[in-house]
Amino acid sequence: MKRRAILAFTLDNPGVLNKVSMLIRKKMYNVDTLTVCRSRIPGVSRMTITLREDDQTRVTQIIKQLEKFTEVISAKELDTDHSYWREVAIVKLEVDVAHLQDFTERYNFEILEQKGEDVHILQIVGSTRRIDAFLDEVGQEHIIEIARTGVTALEK
Amino acid sequence: MTGKKLLLKALKDRGVKYIFGYTGGAIMPVFDEMEKLENFTFVMSRHEQGAAFMAQGVSRASLSTGHPQIGVCMSTSGPGAMNLVTGIADAHMDSIPMLAITGQVATGVIATDAFQESDVVGVMMPICKQTYMPLYADDIEKTIHEGFYVATTGRGGPVVIDIPKDVQNAQVSHDYQFDPVAFRPHLPGYFYSPTPEREPLQRAIELINRSERPVMFCGHGVINSNAGQLLQKFAEKVNIPVAFTLHGLSAMPADHPLSLGMMGMHGTVEANRAILEADLLISFGMRFDDRVTGKLNEYAQNADVIHVEIDPSEIDKNVRTSVAINADVYRTLHVLLDDPMVTFKPRRRWLETIDVFRNVMAESLAAEIAHGVGTGNKLLMKTIIHQLSEVTQGRDLIVSDVGQHQMMAARFYNYQTNNSWYASGGAGTMGCSLPMAVGVKLARPDERVWSISGDGGFQMNAQELGTIMEHNIDVKIIILNNGYLGMVRQWQTFFFDGCYAGTPMQSPDFKLLAQAYGIPHRKVENLEDVTPALQEAIDHQGPMVLEFICDPTEVVLPMVPSGGGFEDMIVKHPQKIDKDLAGEGDAA
Repeated sequence: MKRRAILAFTLDNPGVLNKVSMLIRKKMYNVDTLTVCRSRIPGVSRMTITLREDDQTRVTQIIKQLEKFTEVISAKELDTDHSYWREVAIVKLEVDVAHLQDFTERYNFEILEQKGEDVHILQIVGSTRRIDAFLDEVGQEHIIEIARTGVTALEK
Repeated sequence: MTGKKLLLKALKDRGVKYIFGYTGGAIMPVFDEMEKLENFTFVMSRHEQGAAFMAQGVSRASLSTGHPQIGVCMSTSGPGAMNLVTGIADAHMDSIPMLAITGQVATGVIATDAFQESDVVGVMMPICKQTYMPLYADDIEKTIHEGFYVATTGRGGPVVIDIPKDVQNAQVSHDYQFDPVAFRPHLPGYFYSPTPEREPLQRAIELINRSERPVMFCGHGVINSNAGQLLQKFAEKVNIPVAFTLHGLSAMPADHPLSLGMMGMHGTVEANRAILEADLLISFGMRFDDRVTGKLNEYAQNADVIHVEIDPSEIDKNVRTSVAINADVYRTLHVLLDDPMVTFKPRRRWLETIDVFRNVMAESLAAEIAHGVGTGNKLLMKTIIHQLSEVTQGRDLIVSDVGQHQMMAARFYNYQTNNSWYASGGAGTMGCSLPMAVGVKLARPDERVWSISGDGGFQMNAQELGTIMEHNIDVKIIILNNGYLGMVRQWQTFFFDGCYAGTPMQSPDFKLLAQAYGIPHRKVENLEDVTPALQEAIDHQGPMVLEFICDPTEVVLPMVPSGGGFEDMIVKHPQKIDKDLAGEGDAA
């Protein structure tokens, strides 16, 4: 199913996240990723929600119902052609430095720490697909733990 | 100045006269203050759900008067607040502005599972328009005023304000100031657009003028924006027949020549057939709920749809619109009426076609009503409602419960006055009628109010007879007693091979029950006693219970089966079923 990103600006009040997530549950979706941060305007939060849906009318419906919330200032869908979708992953893996070096040219990652000989903690930034590809190429068998932020997005 | 005083001051400033509710530990400070003030009439319900429906009754009935009031209900924390839930969810589904104030345990013990603690805000959030929990006495007045603003503007809805006990008692800061007149809530995310835009209106007018087989829809938004008269004028101006949603009823006289009556699952043949054949639907203030449309992909296939609706999230939700007008119904109709481009058309052929539809069931229904009795000579609900309509000339206020009797009251009472019909629609809450009628009567004391319930729904809030007794509220209470949960029984007859699971019901002796509350009661079993009994209730000063013994095999027809399209409309009783009563004869 098509992945959708919804960007919402909301008041930074307790319970707003609760309302948003309850609506998405009520509409019978599972939130794929959700990121919340402060916006440029004090007291206003910025939420990026991704979920999977093919039917455009259903997505429009969610957006309209989000906008209905008193605390939601605006909500809209961002598509991949007209916006950047990025996430950060912090990965702990057990791998030879030499093996990692194979990827330095193709992937934008930074080694945060080396623990012992083979254990590394690194951070990688990019689109979901890019991070997935990196993890696959490195080899899932090397990975000890991953922390991913989920998608945040910005209109071009 | 304390929080509790400011709370009551704000309610008074907002013109609240009645507070419905039930006290308890966490709301005691407010009640204590209320008792000293004597500004309000406190009406104690016998269950908090009753209080919520009473508040709804006030809001619903008063909106068409010169002085609309917002119903207020009040309860303690935990179980008190949880008992309000159904009434609040119901108000939310039916877009009824109302305020629920709940006490909460003190801030120091919130989230410790304190005695009678429930997460009221968490529970109410998805079933009301807005929730608040003021944490400082300084915030209370502002919160109440903002709550009123949110409840009453745009598409109305219930607002819940949960106030911890210590906040009720807390003193405001020494420099506290608040001006309720100058106050404007800061709600950057709250929009509603009452005025229609020119461009879609223009396209709507073109469609209206071009259409040959148009139908107008009158929804709850017409009642809520008090636009009944304008709708009627507009219908007459363009000569377009009007079909009503359940909540649109009574916006214009039911026997108006352009009225098609109710549409949808239990709508009239003429309304549903007209929609099926229409080339244009002009809908005012409604949400195309499943009980109205039936199967969506078969709904009004050949029609353009103009949708006038204050809530933008309803537009294109269920039915795809050709022209969307996101605005207040009253203002839109006002503009449409004044527009010189809107033209009258005779539409002779279309109106003749509709007359053919009108005749499909007219004769058989008239014969049934006249015959008046069904299996075992038991009374027919439709006849009782018809006689009530005759006796009262369609001019009384009807508060219905939920079920077959509700559909009968919707179909066979000849509503003559604007906003004279009340029921739980979206939520379909059994038991709503008795308490709602209390609120309706208090809001419109000079008009006669009838509460109509089945034996099932009546018993869901029968305890409110206590409130009626205590305040001597002059509500005429009709129980259409057929010994079953009739609507479910009807579905069982049609779709479950007549297996009556969970629907037969033994009732108490309603006479003794009424007597226990000091309310007179008449049991009516014979057709010739129906009108005299209704007349007796009218002549009696004060509340009275009329119990009619009805035929359980009577069904509401026509019926569009759930999930079916209008083509699947059932217009005849399937004779084969009714196993348990076989041999006793068929329904008349």
